[in-house]
Amino acid sequence: MSLIDRYIAEVGRHLPEKNRTDIEAEIRSMLEDMLEESGYQAKSAEEKVIAETLEQLGDPKLLASQYAPSRRYLIGPGWYDVYLQTLQRVLYIVLPIFATVTFILTLADNPLDFVNAVGEAVGGAFGVGLQILFWITIVFVFLERSDEVPYQARTKSKAWTVAQLPKVPHKRQISIGEALTDIVMDLFIFLWIALPLFQNWLQGDTESVPFLNPDLWNLWFPIFFVLMTLNLIHDVFKLKIGNWTPTLTAANVALCLASIIYVVALVATQQVINPAFLATLDSTQISELRNVTTWSTWSVNISAAILVGILIWDMVNSVRLARRLNERPGTLVITKSVS
Amino acid sequence: MENDELVQNILLELRRGTLSIAVLSQLSKEEYGYSLLKALSDKGLEVDQSTLYPLLRRLESQGLLQSDWRIMDEARPRRYYVISTQGKAVLAKLKQEWSVMAETIQKMLQ
Repeated sequence: MSLIDRYIAEVGRHLPEKNRTDIEAEIRSMLEDMLEESGYQAKSAEEKVIAETLEQLGDPKLLASQYAPSRRYLIGPGWYDVYLQTLQRVLYIVLPIFATVTFILTLADNPLDFVNAVGEAVGGAFGVGLQILFWITIVFVFLERSDEVPYQARTKSKAWTVAQLPKVPHKRQISIGEALTDIVMDLFIFLWIALPLFQNWLQGDTESVPFLNPDLWNLWFPIFFVLMTLNLIHDVFKLKIGNWTPTLTAANVALCLASIIYVVALVATQQVINPAFLATLDSTQISELRNVTTWSTWSVNISAAILVGILIWDMVNSVRLARRLNERPGTLVITKSVS
Repeated sequence: MENDELVQNILLELRRGTLSIAVLSQLSKEEYGYSLLKALSDKGLEVDQSTLYPLLRRLESQGLLQSDWRIMDEARPRRYYVISTQGKAVLAKLKQEWSVMAETIQKMLQ
């Protein structure tokens, strides 16, 4: 195979099937023209001259891409924003519902096994999230390719009018959905912790061993319920007010700080998981897990760390949004006047 | 050094934008790729083959050019391009736009 054949084959490899043969023929004819121009017959030209001619044409992949200005992306700028929005919305709606339902159903099956229920909920939500990501992406890849002309070329001919401007997205800083989600989450956490605690006590059940340490009843559980109640009240106000007003923000910061102190103090000083519960694990099915105590300490610490992270973020975010409350888009906040 | 590069980049964009007009204007009579390249070069416009050939294809797919494989002057078969009726109409419009644009820029640069 000559250099020319190899070059053309390489260009062809990157060309669309439809007119590959034709373009290949044209490139060959062009190469022959170039060689003839330098005073050679294509058949008898020296290797060196051919090489120079080919190098003049450059990287075959680049040449091919000039012929096929196809979409070298899955989702282009015309669809990307809609794609992200859709993905975000669907994930935000489906995942919490799915996780909650899974959690409740698993717990209903086996009322004391939170770890398993949380695991099922998180694991299931992860799987569902991947499915959603995959299918929505596929749909948008098809949408992208259903446009005959790629976005950039299209926008030029279509006049943009102000009618296309979206409504100002956040009249409320805290959307109703967000506030409602928080309230549901509060109730959910409340019940999650409270139900099993009271269940043992109400049913006079002395047989089963509670997961959380009963010693915490002295002080820690009551404080927890107080904090959760305050949180719930705060979230109801969030729903009602809808913006990070100074009072709401101050309350949020106070609540977050109190919660952080509570969580850190709890984890640092108390045995959160019932030692008796761990003992039952040790003696029964998970006996191969020798370090059940270490394992449980770790998972409590990690959960606490995640919780603290979320609380800090919540706090910072509310302050950040509070500062922007009175800004209008495009207006500068002048903090220092120039003399 | 850096300025040279910037100038080159902007010139490249300028040329890319005007090349379609140049090509359409030179195809009132049939040319094959290489002869067109020569014709453009003779008039002072140096174009890369790897730019010109794909551009011819694109203009053809947009209906502005027509093409055929043909044997002329007992040579090898070559693909000949010529401007289409639609291409002529588009070129006339482009000519107007171009002179307005050239004038505007000229005024600004004075």
